[in-house]
Amino acid sequence: MPIAHEFKYLKAKSLKNAFALMEKHPNYQVLAGGTDLICAIKEGMISPEAVIDIKGLKGLSKIKLSNGELSIGSLVSYSEIIESRTIKSYFPLLKEAAEKVASCGIRNRATMVGNICSAVPCLDAGAPLMVYEATVVVEGKDGERLIPIKEWFVGPRKTSLKAGEIVKEVRIKEPALKHGIAYDKLSRYEGEDLAQATVAVYLDEQNNYRISFGSVAPVPVRASSIENLLNGKALSAELIAQAKILVAQEISPITDIRATKEFRLHMCEVMMERSLKRAQMMLGGK
Amino acid sequence: MKTQIAFTLNNELRKMDVETNQTLADALRYLMGTKSVKCGCERGDCGSCTILFNGKSVRSCLILALEADGQEITTLEGIKKPEEEMTPLQEKLLANNSFQCGFCASGMIMSLTPLLKKNPSPSEEEIKEAIAGNLCRCTGYEPIISAVKELAKENRQQKEKSK
Amino acid sequence: MSKLKYIGKPTVRVDGKAKVTGAATFVEDIDFGPNLLYAAVVESPYAYAKINSIDTSAAEQAEDVVKVVVGKEFPYRFGLYMHDRYIFAQDYVRFMGEQVAAVIARTPEAAKRAAKLVKVDYTELTPILKVEDALCDHPNLVHPELKSYEHVPWFFPQDDSNIAHFRKIRHGDLDKGFEEADQVFEDVYYVPRYAHCAIEIHGAVGKFDHSGRLTVWTSSQSPHTQRHLFAEALKPLGITHNDVRVITPYVGGGFGGKAGVTMEIIAAALATKVQGHPVKVLWSREQEFYNTYQRQGVVAKMRIGVKNDGTMTAIEQLLYWDAGAYVEYGANVVNAAGLSATGPYRIPNIKIDSVCVYTNLPPGGPYRGFGYSEFLFGLESFVDDIAEKLGIDPIEMRLKNAIKEGDTLAYGGKMNPSGLEQAINKVKKELKWGEKRESKDPHIKTGKGISLFWKAPAMPPNASSTCFLKFNEDASINLLISAMEIGQGYHTVMAQIAAEVLGVPPEKIRGENPDTDRNPYEWQTVASHITWSCGNAVYNAAVDARDQIFDLVERALEKKRDALYLEDMQVKSKDEPEWSVPLRDFIIDGLMMKDGTWRGGPIVGRGMFMPEFASALSNPETGQGGKPNVHYTVGAAGVDIDVDEETGKVKIKKTVLAVDCGKALNPSLVEGQITGGLVQGFATVLYEDMRFSDKGKLLNPNFTDYKIPTVHDIPEKMVPIIIETAQPDGPYGARGVGEHTMIPCAPMIGNAIKDALNVRIKSMPLTAEKIVMSQKNQKK
Repeated sequence: MPIAHEFKYLKAKSLKNAFALMEKHPNYQVLAGGTDLICAIKEGMISPEAVIDIKGLKGLSKIKLSNGELSIGSLVSYSEIIESRTIKSYFPLLKEAAEKVASCGIRNRATMVGNICSAVPCLDAGAPLMVYEATVVVEGKDGERLIPIKEWFVGPRKTSLKAGEIVKEVRIKEPALKHGIAYDKLSRYEGEDLAQATVAVYLDEQNNYRISFGSVAPVPVRASSIENLLNGKALSAELIAQAKILVAQEISPITDIRATKEFRLHMCEVMMERSLKRAQMMLGGK
Repeated sequence: MKTQIAFTLNNELRKMDVETNQTLADALRYLMGTKSVKCGCERGDCGSCTILFNGKSVRSCLILALEADGQEITTLEGIKKPEEEMTPLQEKLLANNSFQCGFCASGMIMSLTPLLKKNPSPSEEEIKEAIAGNLCRCTGYEPIISAVKELAKENRQQKEKSK
Repeated sequence: MSKLKYIGKPTVRVDGKAKVTGAATFVEDIDFGPNLLYAAVVESPYAYAKINSIDTSAAEQAEDVVKVVVGKEFPYRFGLYMHDRYIFAQDYVRFMGEQVAAVIARTPEAAKRAAKLVKVDYTELTPILKVEDALCDHPNLVHPELKSYEHVPWFFPQDDSNIAHFRKIRHGDLDKGFEEADQVFEDVYYVPRYAHCAIEIHGAVGKFDHSGRLTVWTSSQSPHTQRHLFAEALKPLGITHNDVRVITPYVGGGFGGKAGVTMEIIAAALATKVQGHPVKVLWSREQEFYNTYQRQGVVAKMRIGVKNDGTMTAIEQLLYWDAGAYVEYGANVVNAAGLSATGPYRIPNIKIDSVCVYTNLPPGGPYRGFGYSEFLFGLESFVDDIAEKLGIDPIEMRLKNAIKEGDTLAYGGKMNPSGLEQAINKVKKELKWGEKRESKDPHIKTGKGISLFWKAPAMPPNASSTCFLKFNEDASINLLISAMEIGQGYHTVMAQIAAEVLGVPPEKIRGENPDTDRNPYEWQTVASHITWSCGNAVYNAAVDARDQIFDLVERALEKKRDALYLEDMQVKSKDEPEWSVPLRDFIIDGLMMKDGTWRGGPIVGRGMFMPEFASALSNPETGQGGKPNVHYTVGAAGVDIDVDEETGKVKIKKTVLAVDCGKALNPSLVEGQITGGLVQGFATVLYEDMRFSDKGKLLNPNFTDYKIPTVHDIPEKMVPIIIETAQPDGPYGARGVGEHTMIPCAPMIGNAIKDALNVRIKSMPLTAEKIVMSQKNQKK
């Protein structure tokens, strides 16, 4: 299928150059992996005047852990996240989620930062980053801003990134306590599918809980009422049953072609229960 | 407006004049004549256009041709060694009647090639994961998986023998 | 028959190397040079509307645009079995996505941009999107002129209605049959629309050269039928059959979607407007979903009478098909299902109504299974439920009623030889029927289900196949045949048949993709009839060639003809074990006599097959009297599944399918049809369906939301079982097997889910969501 829309392709030589290009072509789109962008242009969903390719920028391609803080550059692909030993050892929730993104040929190209910039409701990375309480580092010509992930997502396809800014990296502090995690995704297929709901769970040895749901509200949500109920308590069947009742208050799923809101709610309850149990087993060393 | 790019295609240095809005899949098919690159959905769902981009399997329908400038591209036409008639993977897929209509074949092979390079004897799960983004409507996938499993087993036995 | 050397062997595909190396050429791979133009089609945004006017001026002035063509330039009605459609819409559009106009430009981008500039003024009308609405008391008529449409003699449209064809079958005495029954059961099942999803999208290139020759390159299952329909439709332009040439290279999957004529006629028609230029029409995946054919939806109302011992005494099957806006092909699906809607059962008293209903949805048409998958979902689910109510094992119930050779069919004919009982018993054994598999996970329930299946080729009684067989100097062979290698392995099997007769190994025999100028006639590659029909033609051509060879050797070398035989590319004689003559020594040049003169010359075999016993004529009120079906292929299949009762996810642990293919000419390829068919069938029951809005807009025209199974979604184990009860008139006893393998999938999954969770879901697909929600509703 031909791309009928015509645009300028500009390769940024440096961050500074990127800022200048963005200023000169206000109707721009940033190109990293391109797996969302090219498709959207092809299908006429967006018609940018300029596409600014940032793949040549230095320093945005690294996964680095220093002083207890992980940084994932905006050009890091999902495959690189899966293959990273650092992430596997210290941030396994990211690996679990990344493995469920699309398929190998997409993951070799698609970036996690691109995923959170598209901010489509079906994004995969939202719930895990909410649980890890990540920070998004952006830079514009006026300097750097640090945006907590819970302030990052503003609405479907809307983020707090401003015109003229570029995401440099995502930072995550390594959890201090021994913990277990689990991620689950509702999809119609065992193979590649867009998420109809996601759940990410963290629990640690002091019974602190973090639970986030994705794709069941305009933006990924932290389930604070459930966390409040669970915090400080050891998991039990009774407690899980109480927690499941609260799921309906935390999420606002919609009915669309992929699933009904009733099924999404039901599955969020089931996935949360199963994820909590899995995270607990992991914490127990199983 | 056309821009000239230079890149490596199947181990040869090539140049092509591409439009800004041309996808790599279209440029490879229509400008370079590497017609093994197929398009079945144009939005990254079917995997028929899979090629190797710097050794990694990617969807060429979701890449602009301009992004290939200075990069190394491999299509099915370029995967065999000069002395080979076909790669061992192709031989095995042929011997097992793995494909039917054959439209997905090049994408499948391009997804499996980097896997086998990294790990000549992959598990069934690894084989499946490598082609999880390659759709096939004819075969039910089973004849493809069994052929690669057979190759993996032979590679494992050969490795053990040479120890 | 003596021992077979090539038949029955798992020969490597003769097209295999071309496919694994990427050398196989599909229609979009052909180069057409710098003169090539590209068309983009303007489509209707409404399911039903009147076209008031079309303004093409802006599009005509756009850069690189060569021509804009509107529907009125081709006011010709055409169709395969019924002339009810136009190349482009005329005064009305009848489905969303219907082609209204086209832009021809020098680049595909320019064509796409200019297509948006064509302004069409419509008056939107209320569309008919449901069969019930089409059949209400005073419906809007989708085709007010229905009564004037030409159609084949076995269709029965009802004037001033939306019923394009009403197939009636009346056999025995229905009332008596229900009276004789101890119990009578009723039920209703629903099947939505489905898409073929061949990975290769439809594409066609037409070229009308300056001498008036129209050549069309297509991705098609039906090159000769296309030539015929192009010539018929474009006759007013002075184009004749002799002027039309259709060339069809390898096809990237068909499944019925590339049968007949759909978008190809657009390329043919547009070419006539830009004489001298090839013009390419290439569908997008979205257009592929909308504007080829779709598998029709159906509402099936059933009533079955049974004795307490399980014997069926009567069946009433009322099938109402959502056939879409044009039924030129789809009406024959309705017809085929109507003839066979008893399923593979011996039932003495029968009433079948199979009703083809026009709606304002995209045209329905052929899809692997041709109506049988649709009615068997209801029937085979219903049979399980009846067995349960009678307290009879579902397999015993089926064995008791399974049709046998010589039993009377619904339309009055006799059943062909069949291994149905053997198939049922083999599936029963392989599935360990009666043993419950235990699961350790408390949320996982296990279940087993089975289904029988049958299907006959649906084709005109005089559908025929032909073959020219020509030798090359080295005694290798080219088969000029015109069925399509759509992946099923047709070229390989034809090579094996010729190999067996001529003693030339299959790898030396090339099947030629059709060019209607060169390859002789074939009706279409549909109906699972090619192995049987074209196989007979190839066999006959090979025998013809062999006769010529023996004649020559007898005449020139004075060998006793009756003792001659062919082996290893040589002529040999039973009388003289030491003597032989290689085919290559004479197959083109002939044999030299002592005086230096020559005998013989290039050997060319010719073969043809047409089933002269078939007839589609019958009493319209009863369907009795004809012989519309040439034979049935039958079988049985089963599954053993895990269902997670909390998530509704179904995992197929094992599936078994036994099919009686008469003779497996190549068991490897039969197994390929079994695994491929099973996965395609499971997809229709577990995952896929086409969803339409209340405006008739297709909501999932892409692989993101109409997704076909990935490698992670297939059964853990698939067991193919081949049964061989020879088909008396088949090549080496073979009959077709291509479509059958997907037919039993939906009911056997439904039956296994019922077994696991005690929930019966009566509308396809049986998605995880539906399973969970119906469980929840049941508990309420």
